[in-house]
Amino acid sequence: MERRSVRSRKVSKRIATVSAAERENVTHARLEALENDDAAGEGVVGDSDEEFLLEESDEEMEFGKRSKKSKGAKRKTRAMLEAERKGPLTFASLLEEAAASEDPMAKEVARMYSAAAAGPPEGAAPRRWCSVCGFAAPYKCVRCGSRFCTRKCYAVHMETRCLKFVG
Amino acid sequence: MNPEPVVVLDNGGSSCKIGMAGASDPFRLFPNAVGRSKGERQSFVGDQIVGYPDASSLSLKRPFDRGYLVSWDVEKSVWWRAFKSMLQQQPQDCGLLMTEAPFNLPSIQTSTMQMVFEEYGFKSFLAMPAQPLSLLEWQAQQPSLPANTAGIGVVVDAGFSFTHAVPMCDGRLLPGAVRRINVGGKALTNYFKELVSYRSINMMEETYLVDNIKEQVCFVSTHLASDLTASRKGTHKLEYVLPDGVNERIGYARKPLAKGEHTEKNAKEQVLTLNNERFMVPEVLFQPTDIGLQQAGLPQAIVEAVEAAPTDLHPLLYSNVLCTGGCATCPGFQDRLYRELRALVPDDFEASASS
Repeated sequence: MERRSVRSRKVSKRIATVSAAERENVTHARLEALENDDAAGEGVVGDSDEEFLLEESDEEMEFGKRSKKSKGAKRKTRAMLEAERKGPLTFASLLEEAAASEDPMAKEVARMYSAAAAGPPEGAAPRRWCSVCGFAAPYKCVRCGSRFCTRKCYAVHMETRCLKFVG
Repeated sequence: MNPEPVVVLDNGGSSCKIGMAGASDPFRLFPNAVGRSKGERQSFVGDQIVGYPDASSLSLKRPFDRGYLVSWDVEKSVWWRAFKSMLQQQPQDCGLLMTEAPFNLPSIQTSTMQMVFEEYGFKSFLAMPAQPLSLLEWQAQQPSLPANTAGIGVVVDAGFSFTHAVPMCDGRLLPGAVRRINVGGKALTNYFKELVSYRSINMMEETYLVDNIKEQVCFVSTHLASDLTASRKGTHKLEYVLPDGVNERIGYARKPLAKGEHTEKNAKEQVLTLNNERFMVPEVLFQPTDIGLQQAGLPQAIVEAVEAAPTDLHPLLYSNVLCTGGCATCPGFQDRLYRELRALVPDDFEASASS
């Protein structure tokens, strides 16, 4: 077992930095988030529908129709429960499925899809924009790596964003 | 025997376009989504969203994920509404021509086919990418263009979910040469939303509204450096008056007011101040590295696509670059693309946009 100093784990928040790998993770998560629909409302949609179904079956029970009640309880098939567990279908999962499938046609399409992605940028270095105001940013935050352009923007960044999305 | 009437459905990630083939009357356009207002049970399907008086806090559920049709639950209700309210004919008497994204997965195609025949009962069905159809339209408009007579061209489709550069020969897609950038209108809207929420008023919940604002105020800068300097001085500053739920449905943009101009009415308004976001957001299409996506920008993607096509076609392909899709309607898009592409390719070419 490797012996580690206790101290190294207790880095003060003021000097803690974010590793390159972690920074990459953050960028990835952000890109994912950019493709999202407004997810907040969606959970509610599913829930309220379920409520509605339940109310219906309660009503039927009051009338004493036992057979109908059991029908209501059966409404959720195994496939539906499975689908609920998996959550909404995503394109990524379908693509994975196609790439792993036996069907050569599906495999080919999945391969073509991946091949069609535009390559990495050539020539110009990535441009750097201030994460606060959006103008050209010559400096970067030593803690989290976000860009900023002036001391004023740096102050805003430290107050609002620095390390907020990481931990 | 008369051929059956054909319904044409451009089933896009953000909006559906529906019409009859060969008909002179215009197609109908409506959001391809189910909307729901916060705190209410009722939901709004397709074109009902457009007429809904309170655009704020409307959350949309879309059947598309990454540009491909995955959620039939949502799509089913949108289609039913569309077919019932906008078609004079029953689906059973018609054929259906539908557009799909390039490289649609067989599993998605199967489920689509199943729905089309079993749920709606269409007589016949064809799904194809939209880009060859755009080129056909362009050919009809400009039949004298040398590349058009041969059906050769690159269609740049800057859509909602992603952006494609699609080289074509003889009106057909060259599958090996298609290039895709994983940035589209949706990512731009979300990016815009993020920036505005951080810099001005929190709009994170109001995607539908922000989408509308984006379409009204965004433009593609032709000289980025000079536009940036200008926006520091406030030349591009714009105020967007948010809807108040009574008089305004989606709000409007205006030039910032001078000091003396404020009236009592203005004091009650909620105003979004916009500055360089207006052109820095569409800029992402040209430099996806701005949001950390390690992909080439649009001009380079077009070059990549053309380079992957047979060498003999290069001059004709470059001479006929056609822009289409929602993002391409952003003011200045064409100029900027021409300018950047001009610097990258040796041959003379023309860039043009149509819907």
